[in-house]
Amino acid sequence: MTTYHELDPVEAKIAARDVSVFYGDQQALDRVSIDIGTEYVTAFIGPSGCGKSTLLRTFNRMNDTIANARVEGEVRLDGVDIYRSDLDVVQLRARVGMVFQKPNPFPKSIYENVAYGPRIHGLAVNRTELDAIVERSLRRAGLWDEVKDRLSDSGTALSGGQQQRLCIARAIAVDPEVILMDEPCSALDPIATARIEELIGELKGRYAIVIVTHSMQQAARVSQRTAFFHLGRMVEYGKTSDIFTNPREERTKDYITGRYG
Amino acid sequence: MTERASTDAGAADGDRAARRLKARYAAERRFRALGLAAIACSVAALLFLLVTMIGNGMSGFRRTELRVPVDFARAGLRVEPARLGAIDALPALRQAGLSQVLGQAAAASLGPDGAAELDPDAWREVARAIIADPGLLQRRVVLSLPASDNLAAAQRGDGQRRLRPLATRLAAQGKLVRAWDPGFLTRADSTHAQSVGIWGALKGSLLTMAVTMALAFPIGVLAAVYLEEYAPRNRWTDLIEVSISNLAAVPSIIFGLLGLALFVGLFPSWRSAPLIGGMTLALMTMPVIVISARAAIGAVPPSARDAALAIGASRIQVVFHHVLPLAMPGIMTGTIIGMARALGETAPLLMIGMRAFVATPPAGLTAPASVLPVQIFLWSDEIDRGFVERTSATIIVLLLFLLAMNGLAIHLRNRFEKRL
Amino acid sequence: MSPVIPLLLVLGLATVGWLVARARARIFRRARPGGRLDSRPQYHAWFVALCAGLPAGLFALAWSAFSPGLVVMRVLQAPAAAALPAEGILRDAILAEAGALATRHATGAFHPLARTLVPAFEQAIAHYAQVGLAVTLLLGFATGTWAFLRLRPDFRARTQVERMIMAALLLASLAAILTTFGIFASLLAETWRFFRFVPPGDFLFGNHWSPDPMADVGPVATDSYGALPLFWGTFAIGVVIAMLVAIPLGLMSAIHLTQYASPALRRWVKPMLEMLAGVPTVVYGYFAALTVAPAVRRLGEALGLANPSSESALAAGLVMGIMIIPFVSSMADDAIAAVPAEMRDGSLALGATRFETIHRVLIPAALPGIVAGIMLAISRAIGETMIVVMAAGATARLTANPFESMTTVTFQIVAMLTGEGSFDHPATLSAFALGMVLFLVTLALNFVALRVVLRFRQAYD
Repeated sequence: MTTYHELDPVEAKIAARDVSVFYGDQQALDRVSIDIGTEYVTAFIGPSGCGKSTLLRTFNRMNDTIANARVEGEVRLDGVDIYRSDLDVVQLRARVGMVFQKPNPFPKSIYENVAYGPRIHGLAVNRTELDAIVERSLRRAGLWDEVKDRLSDSGTALSGGQQQRLCIARAIAVDPEVILMDEPCSALDPIATARIEELIGELKGRYAIVIVTHSMQQAARVSQRTAFFHLGRMVEYGKTSDIFTNPREERTKDYITGRYG
Repeated sequence: MTERASTDAGAADGDRAARRLKARYAAERRFRALGLAAIACSVAALLFLLVTMIGNGMSGFRRTELRVPVDFARAGLRVEPARLGAIDALPALRQAGLSQVLGQAAAASLGPDGAAELDPDAWREVARAIIADPGLLQRRVVLSLPASDNLAAAQRGDGQRRLRPLATRLAAQGKLVRAWDPGFLTRADSTHAQSVGIWGALKGSLLTMAVTMALAFPIGVLAAVYLEEYAPRNRWTDLIEVSISNLAAVPSIIFGLLGLALFVGLFPSWRSAPLIGGMTLALMTMPVIVISARAAIGAVPPSARDAALAIGASRIQVVFHHVLPLAMPGIMTGTIIGMARALGETAPLLMIGMRAFVATPPAGLTAPASVLPVQIFLWSDEIDRGFVERTSATIIVLLLFLLAMNGLAIHLRNRFEKRL
Repeated sequence: MSPVIPLLLVLGLATVGWLVARARARIFRRARPGGRLDSRPQYHAWFVALCAGLPAGLFALAWSAFSPGLVVMRVLQAPAAAALPAEGILRDAILAEAGALATRHATGAFHPLARTLVPAFEQAIAHYAQVGLAVTLLLGFATGTWAFLRLRPDFRARTQVERMIMAALLLASLAAILTTFGIFASLLAETWRFFRFVPPGDFLFGNHWSPDPMADVGPVATDSYGALPLFWGTFAIGVVIAMLVAIPLGLMSAIHLTQYASPALRRWVKPMLEMLAGVPTVVYGYFAALTVAPAVRRLGEALGLANPSSESALAAGLVMGIMIIPFVSSMADDAIAAVPAEMRDGSLALGATRFETIHRVLIPAALPGIVAGIMLAISRAIGETMIVVMAAGATARLTANPFESMTTVTFQIVAMLTGEGSFDHPATLSAFALGMVLFLVTLALNFVALRVVLRFRQAYD
């Protein structure tokens, strides 16, 4: 039922097999299988309510925070099933970071926002190491030069785009292997969006990145792989260039040409 | 640190991480246990309170009674039937020697020492029975009369030592029994635990609540309508809102001081009357009703208003025909909760003098009265075991009333939430 | 004097006005070419009914409140009243008895003089009842007729009626301001009188409290009106002990219920906490005096304290803390619920445990709300009366030993006002000064707390 385009074989960082998600009686995702690699950015596109964010949230088990959500099928991270009963969800989330739709810095200083993750995971032995992690993360998030003189200001006092980059720095600081981004630019203006997209390009290769977006242009700009979802199913998956220039499914074509909401 | 610390970390590093994770999970478990313990403590406090009250109070619905056969036909109690219907029937029966007749009958049946332990107010109960049924005077009946507090204590095994043999003897003869006391719910205050009742206080509470409701409900709802639907945004409206939210948090005793200075000052002859008590509690309840009524009115969807306005209804008509009926269950919920709080309130009523010993149920809104919580407070000073039981029994009655009111409020709230 | 009969008559008058006005409006309508009036006949009817009923009804109520005073004045002019003692309690008692006899509220009198006054009373009551009734009816008739004469086919009755309703709404909402003002004015007036006996400095900072309501008013011993021990007792019981119980238990319960508890546990525990909040304070007070205070006393004995008091600050504070638990827990619940879910998700997504998320993100974010809640809880604890009246004791002392009895502001207000003291005695007046302090302190706490809560809500909207 899913059309897979010709792809070079890659080592899968995340491998999902027949994943279905239910919220109570309602099915949100229907038997989706997909491989995610580190070498490229993967974009999930599709109309709202299609299940793309739901799939994203199965990768770090954030669905656990929703009371009546139930996941079927398998999701493997480096070959290990992350829904295994003895798997430690805290460790999983340290390896699979997430950036949310709305920037959600903690109401603490910029420094503390970034240092929060390393602190709880004990990644730094002393203050010097912690300082180094904070600086490196902020640099990678492209925020260092803008905030280095006011690290003790509140994170909520930054502009929207800066807040989102702060959240990315916060995710990077834990040194994850995968970064999940759930419509990270939907609350930002075009200039801030461009800055984040640039940042995604810089981070590519270092982390496996999955981005959920409602903007075709953004998917085309930042990703190398694209999956199109509709009504809880993955309709088509392949190289971004193939999906946008030569979609094989009628529904995909309709959607990317704007004939479908 | 290398680029990817976790992948090429040494074995020692992994060990450290594992230990750290274990410690983090231990903290998580401790915290959870602490939370559960806090809930357990709170619930245990409630259960302990309830169990104490029920344990003490259930026996408060019983009393110790002496079974005394009386032959009124031969006792020669002469009272004109017309006087039994008059307002002073009680004194008339007393003058006719009812007390002495009972004393003689008790002495004949229980012996002189037993007769001495009849409750001094026992004749009142018999007199009320005679007034209710004058035919009694022609019959021979076995009366259940309250024993004195001392004999009741002796029957429990404490109190005065000298009375214990008497209690044992009478109990063995079946003349001294512990029996259900339905009269507890129909009598008024008395000086003896054996002959007290709560009807006086209950009636006072009901009258007071009626006054509170009659004042606080209309004023509260009208004020809420004004603030939510019509009030312009200006300094006056702000002032009204600030004073309402502050009044809702002012200690109740302050309302008592106001009631004392204002109402008792204006109407000194109605001191300790339900009218004044109700007025004082109305001031206290009104802000609660305003706040909940505003929430309920605000929850009515704008579509209901727009629809009515669109067909040419005036703003008053919109509110009174459409908005208020929809908001009414929510308003009632808040009102009942406010009334329940007023029903349990004691301190402001002490201030306005509702702490007098009132041995007859109040005749009206302006007659001196007591209320249930004040009755509890007054009896709590008595150390006699009998009063402890009676106090706890009164608490049970009060809590049942509050439970019923809160249950009703929750029921209404559920219905309200379903409809909107 | 019962206002029931006049009020019923007023109601009848209003009904008549309603019917007549509606009939007239219908005649107007028939006479109009289009058969339409500016306002429907009902509004004409209501306009007349309200005009006829409202002033007369208000007059009837006012008359019933003030005529007893007139009755007594008339009785005093009767010849039989000449035998009354000139002043004092006996005179009042005889008058009260005679009044009760005349209205059939009593059947017997202690004073023979009372019986002689009964005819005068009966006559005066009847006289003023007739006067009141006549004025009520005349007033209603006059205003009703005036309203009726204003009716015209183009009369905007609906606007008039709605204007009256708006006036009623405005008046109702002014009741809150009037109450606040009334509290402030009555406290201020009596406090002012108190400060004429005792200087404010001696009252606020003196450390010896032993007013004697029975002492002569004459030269007042101002050094026995130092309220410092009361403030200390209130602080120790309401702020220290009660909060030591309520804050940890309430906060932890709220956190566990919102973050960890299964729906089943929540379904059971929430109503129980609500029940804890619904228990009247007098019941808590009885519980404190009957059960907790003896237990605390035994604990004191076990700890080797010589002569622990049977009434102790600890017992009152503990029970007060239990009473405040549901209050703190519901405020904390609201504050935590107001923190956006994204904040929690952000922390969880970084691999924080629930405890770490609560401890480092949720609580710091909800802190203003929690602090405001605690301020409201404190304001409630220091205003709480019955628990301390029944369990804390009457002795004013500055002690740090919770096993000793302490007294509070509220306790002394009750103690000073429930005796037989007269309103001119500084001991009685001191209750109002204490009330003033209590009012201002709770007002400040509430005001600040409500501001904080408002800011806090806006921050996350």
